[in-house]
Formats: sequence, structure tokens, C-alpha cells
Amino acid sequence: MNLTGTLFVAALGLCLAAAPAAVLTPRRARPLLAGAATTAAGLAGAAAGVTALSGQGWSARLDGVLPLAGVRLDLDPLGAMFVAVTGAVAVCAAVYGVAYARHGLDGRVAQATPPLFVASMLLVPAAASVSTLLVAWELMALTSLLLVLAEHRRRAAVGEAALWYAVMTHLGFAAILAGLAGFAALAGGETFEQLRAAGLPPGARDAVFLATLAGFASKAGIVPLHVWLARAHPEAPSQVSALMSAAMVNMGVYGILRVGLDLLHGGPAWWWLLVLGAGALSALFGILQAAVASDLKRLLGHSTTENMGLVLIGVGAAGFLASGGDSMLAALALAAALLHVVNHSAFKTLLFLAAGSVLHATGTRDLDALGGLRARMPCTTALFAVGALAASALPPGNGFVSEWLLLQSLIHALPTSGVAGAVTMPLAVGVIALSAGLAIATFVKAFGVGFLARPRTPGAERASESPPAMIGGMALAAASCVILALAPATVLPGLSRLAASLVPGSGHPPGPVPVSGEVTLRLTGYEGTISPLLIAVALAIAVIGLLGAVRLFASRRARRAARLWDCGAGPMSPRMEYTATSFAEPLQRVFDDVLEPESDLDVTPTKESAYLVESVRFRARIPDRIERRLYDPVLAAAGALGRAATGLANGSVHRYLAYGFYALTAVLVALAVIW
Amino acid sequence: MTGLIGAVSQVVLVAVGSPLLAGLMRQVRARLEGRAGAGVAQPWRDLRKLARKEPITPHGTGWVFRLAPLVLAGTVLVVAAVVPLVTTLSPMDGVADLFAVTALLALGSVALALGGLDTGTAFGGMGASREVTVMALVEPTILLSVFALSVRVGSTNLGAIVTSAVHDPLEVISPVSLLAAVALAVVTIAETGRIPVDNPSTHLELTMIHEAMILEYSGPDLALIEWASAMRLSVLLGLLASLFAPWGIATAGAGLAAVVLGMAALVIKVAALGVLLAAGEVFMAKLRLFRIPELLAGSFMLALLAVAASFFLA
Amino acid sequence: MTDSVYVPLLDLACGAFLLTGVLVLWRRDLAAIVRLFAVQGADLGALVIVLGLHKGSAELMIAGVAVGGLRAGLLPCLMRRALMAGGEGRETKPLVNVAGSLLVAAVLAMVAYAVSQPLVRLTPTPATQAVPVALTVLLVGFFVLVTRRRALSQVVGFLLMDNAITATAFLTTSGVPMVVELGVSLDILLAVLVLQVLTTRMRAAFGGTDLDELRELRD
Repeated sequence: MNLTGTLFVAALGLCLAAAPAAVLTPRRARPLLAGAATTAAGLAGAAAGVTALSGQGWSARLDGVLPLAGVRLDLDPLGAMFVAVTGAVAVCAAVYGVAYARHGLDGRVAQATPPLFVASMLLVPAAASVSTLLVAWELMALTSLLLVLAEHRRRAAVGEAALWYAVMTHLGFAAILAGLAGFAALAGGETFEQLRAAGLPPGARDAVFLATLAGFASKAGIVPLHVWLARAHPEAPSQVSALMSAAMVNMGVYGILRVGLDLLHGGPAWWWLLVLGAGALSALFGILQAAVASDLKRLLGHSTTENMGLVLIGVGAAGFLASGGDSMLAALALAAALLHVVNHSAFKTLLFLAAGSVLHATGTRDLDALGGLRARMPCTTALFAVGALAASALPPGNGFVSEWLLLQSLIHALPTSGVAGAVTMPLAVGVIALSAGLAIATFVKAFGVGFLARPRTPGAERASESPPAMIGGMALAAASCVILALAPATVLPGLSRLAASLVPGSGHPPGPVPVSGEVTLRLTGYEGTISPLLIAVALAIAVIGLLGAVRLFASRRARRAARLWDCGAGPMSPRMEYTATSFAEPLQRVFDDVLEPESDLDVTPTKESAYLVESVRFRARIPDRIERRLYDPVLAAAGALGRAATGLANGSVHRYLAYGFYALTAVLVALAVIW
Repeated sequence: MTGLIGAVSQVVLVAVGSPLLAGLMRQVRARLEGRAGAGVAQPWRDLRKLARKEPITPHGTGWVFRLAPLVLAGTVLVVAAVVPLVTTLSPMDGVADLFAVTALLALGSVALALGGLDTGTAFGGMGASREVTVMALVEPTILLSVFALSVRVGSTNLGAIVTSAVHDPLEVISPVSLLAAVALAVVTIAETGRIPVDNPSTHLELTMIHEAMILEYSGPDLALIEWASAMRLSVLLGLLASLFAPWGIATAGAGLAAVVLGMAALVIKVAALGVLLAAGEVFMAKLRLFRIPELLAGSFMLALLAVAASFFLA
Repeated sequence: MTDSVYVPLLDLACGAFLLTGVLVLWRRDLAAIVRLFAVQGADLGALVIVLGLHKGSAELMIAGVAVGGLRAGLLPCLMRRALMAGGEGRETKPLVNVAGSLLVAAVLAMVAYAVSQPLVRLTPTPATQAVPVALTVLLVGFFVLVTRRRALSQVVGFLLMDNAITATAFLTTSGVPMVVELGVSLDILLAVLVLQVLTTRMRAAFGGTDLDELRELRD
């Protein structure tokens, strides 16, 4: 067993050992033990991913573990990348979780399940046969479902969220199962090698791709299969939210890449235009919902949908360009998508962990009730600012680098990609631009309203800084954000090589990598350069120089504290501050036709006169429009069917036995007639 | 070497000349409205006055409020060094392309919006909310215009775009260029907060955007913001001039004389655009806030048509 | 005329033609819409004249002058008179709001480009490459017809479609026979006259030109 194998097995072993250990140890030691084991496992997993990505692959075959098929594992570069990301997210979440567990999350189940969840997410990308993949996938679904339910006694919303999640994830699982089982049956074998070698008729290929796409896209939270995401991610404990939103959704992208590009070797252009379209829709819809959301964790969940949409735009563009024969640009688009996966994992881990800190310091996730945390939680505020900068895709944040690459791949595609490309690419650029603009608005709101200004409620007033372990977990994620932002060359060579080898039709050995350069990134074959590090340095020099200039030339008098401008009406109360809802109101009005917000106004007049108002009550909510149009009718029909079926069950035992009797007789008669 | 001198000279020119541009525009407005005006150098006198005042920190504000003016001015200075205003040979050219430039400008606006929110007053929040709304809607137009301009050159690097326009002046009157120019002009107006999107001289709460955000700033901080806003306007006008009227810009192989010529050309072009903008503002009213999306949707459509025209009429 | 002058001029005329077409969606003021239509008519005339100069065909140039005269002079004049007669000067509440209409126009441009590619590929000359522009204006005109309420904006929508068809004809075939063009132009004139009469009658009957009120006739 080589180094990769040793590390990977160590990671799995640690996770699997941590679960029973967490069950057996006493409550006081439990979080530390489980956290330490998961941290070590995450480190080992990340290291295994990195070594495998740099060329040292590993595969194993364990026939005895699962009945019939056995387990097959193979860490090739594609799987390795996702293993590495999962490992890194697990490290941050586990360090954070040690302290977070004190808030009533140190029960046996809550502590034993996270290591298993991490193990399943390490196994999914390493699986090399259909049955192994499906088992790991189901394990991932079940463990995450248990974790979503962790706080079900405290909030009623958890139960509903878990129900949505359970149903959606199992429908997705059914779609993947159907697709891959059909694929395996047609290919005459279920290992990925056999699937790769199989030549399927076009119709069957389409069916396999569409079925698996639906399943994997639902895991990635892609519109219109996103309804569970913004419910389940916020209701889970925060370090689990981070694991789900930063690592688990990636598995959906992994699945699409594995099946579409690797096992099916790419496909017709329409597959990828479909992927691109779904991505564009998700990017816009996700960020629009995030822009008007006032629940901090829900906002982050919607932003996950947006970022997965951006990734799928890249994946779709890559597949589309590859189907047109342009491997170099396809590799560029794919490298951009993969880099965005990594970047998103880094900043979303950070943001969810910071949101968890806020939740536990103040007891609320509602941005309208927060504020003033800058003075009370300085470290959390600074770390959230790093994450928000990254998520709004502004330099010098890491999100900017991947969006820049994505835009470059789209604009250079225009002259080469024919009519479909000429229509798609400008619209895709417009979508990315609008989602980037709305992302800025969203995160200005999240940071500005949530952390700055003055506290809006007593809960926010009483907030205090989180314990060191939580800050440590966030700081790890923030450090990775900063490294990715300033030196994307630490991960880009590996990702570019992976992208170049993954693009169908790139041949052996794969073509040159699409992006190169250490400090300044250069596109291969196209003119385009950018240097994130130098931009940051120039910005720092400019700001420091200006600070010096202000010291030198401006007044040297000491700063004086003064009253805010209150129109002479005395000190302003926190109720006068802008809230998240009021901040998003102009955007909500602009997108009124898309969002269809609901509001109702109750005016109660005083008894004496109809013109004098006793009280005014205003309520507004923005329901998910896709959910209302697409899911509610289905749910209503299912409910109606269920109610109709109650007529069949009136409680009489004789009647139930009669149903069995009738059915048996009917089957026998039918058999007699047919034979 | 020429490149470095050119880059330094354009930063210095922007830093020194921007308040004068603001003064010129106010003067033009004043004259057209039948007032005498305070003179072209008045903004500099204002800045000097503000810089000498005592710095003030309003209650409840923190590091974000203090940092915002510095970041705003810092981003504009970096952009001034990158953008080919005087020369295309800036050593910073490879560092950032047109996407990065727009993102840097957006970073400045974000800093100011956060500064406005940090005060916790209704005005600060209102200004920030409106600013980011406009910014979010402007973004698609900018990126698509960039796209349209880059199709011809095959690159989004500013040096490459401007060099190509210098070598082929007829390109400038193609439909692609004209549509993109109109779209970018609308964007410039929106980004710099001029009429009809925002009125830089209003303090009426119903209408103000930019002024609402900076209401709590005073003294040296306010001086920095005023100066940065003026620089932002002149950099954006300069960029517009460079992209669509690139005459006089020092390109590869040019000597020091060309840099001096480039500076003169820049001053003339930006002054002309400023006068045009100021004159236009006299005859126009500010749009209602909720009519602004129509204007921006229109500019988005123009940008998309510019992209489309780049292959419609290839 | 050499190609180096011909192509930019043709592109410019087409660009202006397209721009005036989509700007109709932007403006609410009916007088401005009529003005835009007049400018578009002039653009169409210029387009035909440029084609004529390129081919060196006097007939085309005369057709250009005639087309321009009719669409930039006579028709706007008639419409302005109709406008003067009535009180309403604004398209107050279109069925699709202005921002939405503009985005739809952008998408229509893309659609027009995609569907006209086979046509362009037949003879890829600079003139046929501008066919998507004409098709875009056609679709925009149809869209105006569908979404605008005032009778006058509907007339403009109809005339935009007609302008687009004329432009397509000239761009693809470089000149329909004079007789056909004359016939079409007379038809248009007649249609506008009929509509003008209709709007006057409508205003007399309903006090406005909101076409939704025609529904009352059914009841």
C-alpha cells in the first residue's frame, strides 16, 4: 500500500473508530475525543487527496466487505480532489465542533454521527463501482439526516426540514440508482472500468445521463430540486451545516463529472446546455432568494445554491465546448469550475461556522435582530468579513479568482462555438454578472446589518466572543480562503491538470494545462492575465500610503467622539436602524415580478373614530415561488389522494382481511385467464 | 521605463486633476444656470479646509467606518495605475484586466456602503441599500460591455483593447463600439452617482444615494471621500475616453514626449467629457429611484446588443 | 463604393435601425415613439441608398429615397396628427413593464440571430449578415403589438414589423421590383389611414384608445 493508500485508510479507520469511541466515553470527554479523531481523519483524508492528485493514485478491492459485489475503491485525480476538499472542511468543522458541542450537542448520537458522515463523504468520491458508490451515498444521506435532526427537540422547524430533506434525498437516490443500475446492466458489469469501456446506444446514454443528473443535481441543490437545501442546511447544527454546504453538495458536482465526463466520455451538446441552463437558473434564483432573506443561515444556504449554479455553468460550458471539439477552452472552463468548488468550500465553511458562533452568542439567526457584534465579537466579525469578501467575488477574495477564470472561458468561447454558443455565452456572462452583483448586495447586507452598527435586540446586546476552539476552526477556514485568494497557484496546477485530463477528446497524454503561472495567472492559448497577489499588494500599498498621507497633511488633532446626526431629536433608538428587510426592500421591489412577495396589512382603528389608528400590523414574507408552483400542486394532489384513500380504511378488521381476499382471488383469476 | 513614468504620471494627474475636474463641472453648471460659480479650484480649497478640521468619530462606529474612506481612495488609486489613460505600457497592465478594474471599483463602493451601515443611522442604511441595489443592477451591463469590447481583440486586458483601437481608428465607429459606448456611459453615470441616477448636490432624504452614505463623515475623512469620488469620476471618464477615443495615448515604442502628449490628450478628453456631462445634467432631472432599473435594463440591452452585433455584423 | 467604406456604413445603418427599434420599447411618451419611428424610417432609407450606391443601381437609390420619404416623413406626420387630435400622450401601463420588455428584446435579438443563421449561410455577404438585425426588429415590432395598450403604439408596432420586412427584402435580394415596393407602400399607407380613422372613432366612442376597451364590443 502506497502513501496515498495508507493515509486514506488511516482517515477511514479514524472515523470508524471515533464513532464507537464517542458512544462509549463519558459525556465530558466525548466532544474532545470525537473532535480530535475527526480532525486527524480530516487531515489524513486531505493529505491522501493531495498525494493522489499529484499523481500517486491508489486502488483497492475488498471482496468480503459487501455481499455479492464487494467494495472497490480507486483514488484517481478526480475523486482525490473531492476527497481533499472534504478532508479540509472536516478539519475546520471538527476543531470548531469541540467547543460548539457544549451547547447541548454532546449526546451520543450527535457526537458519534459526524465521523461517520465524514467517512461516507470520503468514500463517495473514492468508490470505483456502482454498488460501492450507492452504499456510500446512502450512508451519507442517512448520517446527514440524523445530524439535521440533532436539534429537533428545540425547534419545531427541524422536523419539517428533515422531512423535506429525507424525501428529496431519497428521490434523488432513486434517480441515481435507476440510472446507474441501468447503466451497469447495459454495460454487463458494475465496476467503473467496465462502465467506461461499455458502448451504449445513444438513447440509453441519454437516459442514464438524465437520471443521474437529476439525482446528483438534487444533492447539489440545483433549481428546481433545491427546496430541501435552504431548509435543511440552516436547521442542522452549524458545523454540520458547514459540512453539508461545503462538502456534501460537492458530491453532486462530483457525480455529474464522474458520470457525464468520465464514464460516458462526454455527450451531445444539449446535455451540457441543459447543465449550463440549470446552473444559470440556480445561480440567479439562489442569489435572489439570498438577497431578500433575513435569516442568516438560510441566506447562506441560498448562496450555496447560487455557487453550485456557477460551478455547473462552468461544467456545462466545459462539456459543451468539448462536444464542439475545443478541448483547451473546455479545460479552462472545467478548471474554473473545479477552482470554484474549492473556493466555495473554503468560504462557505467559514461563513457557516461564523453564523453558528453568532447563533450561539445571541440566540438568533435573524439578521433583523442582530447588529453591533463588531465590538462584542471582534474575531468572529473579522473572520466573517473575510468570508463575505470571498463570497461576494471581489478582489482580493478567493471567489474573484474562480469567477474571473469562468468569465474568461465564456468570453473566449464566442468566436469558436457556433450559433448555440453565440447565443448561450453572452447570456451566461449576463447571468454570472447579475449573480455577482446580487452576491455583493447580499453579503454587504449580511455583514453590514448583522455585525456592524448597534445591537437591535437585547440578545445581540449580550453577545460575547466565542471560545478559542470555535475561533480556531474559523481561523483555519479563513487562512485557507486567504491562501486561495493570494496564491491560487497552490492548487491551480493540480486542478488544471485534472481538468485537462478530464475533458473528453483530450487524448493521451492530455494537452497542456489551461492556466499556468505562479504570481500572475496566464491563460494558455489566449491572451489574458491576472495577478491576485499583486492586486492585493497594490491595494495594501495604496491604503497604507494614504494613511501616511492623511497623518502627514491632515489635521493632527486627536479624534473626538461625537453624537450621530439625529436631526436634533435626541439619541436614536436601535429601532430606527435599517434592518436586513428594509435593506433588501429596493431589490425586492425591482424583482417584484420574479419573487412575488406576499404582504398583509391589518389596521385596527380606535373605537372613537375610524380615522384614528389604534395599531398597525404588517407582515411580509417571500415564499419560494418555484416551490409554490412546482411542489405545492404535487403535494396537494398527494394529500388529496391520501385523504381519498382514508375511505378505504374505516377501521373494520373484516374489511382489511377482505381486501387481501379479493386481491388474492383477483390474481388467481387473472393468472387463470392469461395462462 | 517609459511605462513606469507613464503610470506614475497618470496616477499623479488623476490625483491632482480630479478636484479640478469637479470644479470645472460645477463651474459649467453654474454658468449655464446663470450663476457666477466659485471657480475651478474651489474643490481643492474645500479639501484643504476639511483636512484641517478636527477628525470626528461618531458614537457607535468602529474600524469599518474609519477604514472605508481609505479603501475607497485606495481602490481608485490602484485603478488609476492600471488603466491605460496616458500610456498602454503601464507595468501594472498584466496585473488586472477590465474585469478586475470593475471589481476593484465595486470594492470601493462596498467599503463606503459598509461605512454607511456602520453608523447605524437610517440615512446610512438607506444610502447603502440604494447604492448596492444600483451596483447589483449595473454589474451585468459592465461585464457584457467588456465582453463586447474584448471580442474584437480576443482579450480583456485593457492595454490590448486600447492598443488595437489606436492602430485601427475606424473600429471606433462600428456599431459594436457605439452600442458599448452608450452602455458604458450609462454605467459611468450610475457608478459615479450623477444625474439622472443620483444627484451629487442633493441632501433630500427621498432622493439621495451617495450623500446619504457619507452623511456622518466629516473633517479629513470627508476630504478623503470627496477626493476619492472626484478621482473615481475622472478615472471612469478617462477610461471611457481611452476605450472609445484612444487618440494620443502612448503605445509601444513611445518615448517621453509621447507620455507628455498623452497627458495633454487625457486632460483635454476628460475635460471635454466632463463639460458634456455637466451640460447634460443642467437639462435633465433625476429619475425616481424605481425608474432607475429601467434605465439600467436599457443599458443592459444595449450591451447585449453590442455583443450580438459583434457577431451579427461580423 | 469600396468595401472598406461600404461595410462600416452598412453596419452603422443597420445598427441605428436596430437601436431605434428597441428604443421604442424604452419610451413611454407617444410623441417620442413616433419620433423614433421616423428616425428608423430614415435609417431604412439610408440603408437602401447605401445598398444602391454599392451596387451602382439608380433604381435602388430612388427606392431608398422613396422609402425614406414615406416612413420618415409621411407616416410619422399622419401619426402625429392623430396624436394631436387625442389627449393621451403616454403609454402609461404596458402589459409587460418597461424593464421586462427591454430584457425580452435582448433575448429576442439572440433568438433572431439563432434562427436566421441558415439564411445567412446561403450567401454570406455583408448585406445578408445584417438580416438578423431586421428579424430582431420584426420580433420587437410584434412584441410591441402584443404588449402595448394604446392604439398608436400598436400602429407603431405594426409599422416596425413592416420596416423590418422591407429591410429583409432589400438585404437578402438587394431590391424587390419597384412595382412590388410601391404596392406594399400603398398598402401601408392605407393601413395607417384606416387605423387613424379607427382611433378617431374609438376616441369618439370610448373616450380613449386603450384597445382593451374594445372588449366591450363583444358583450
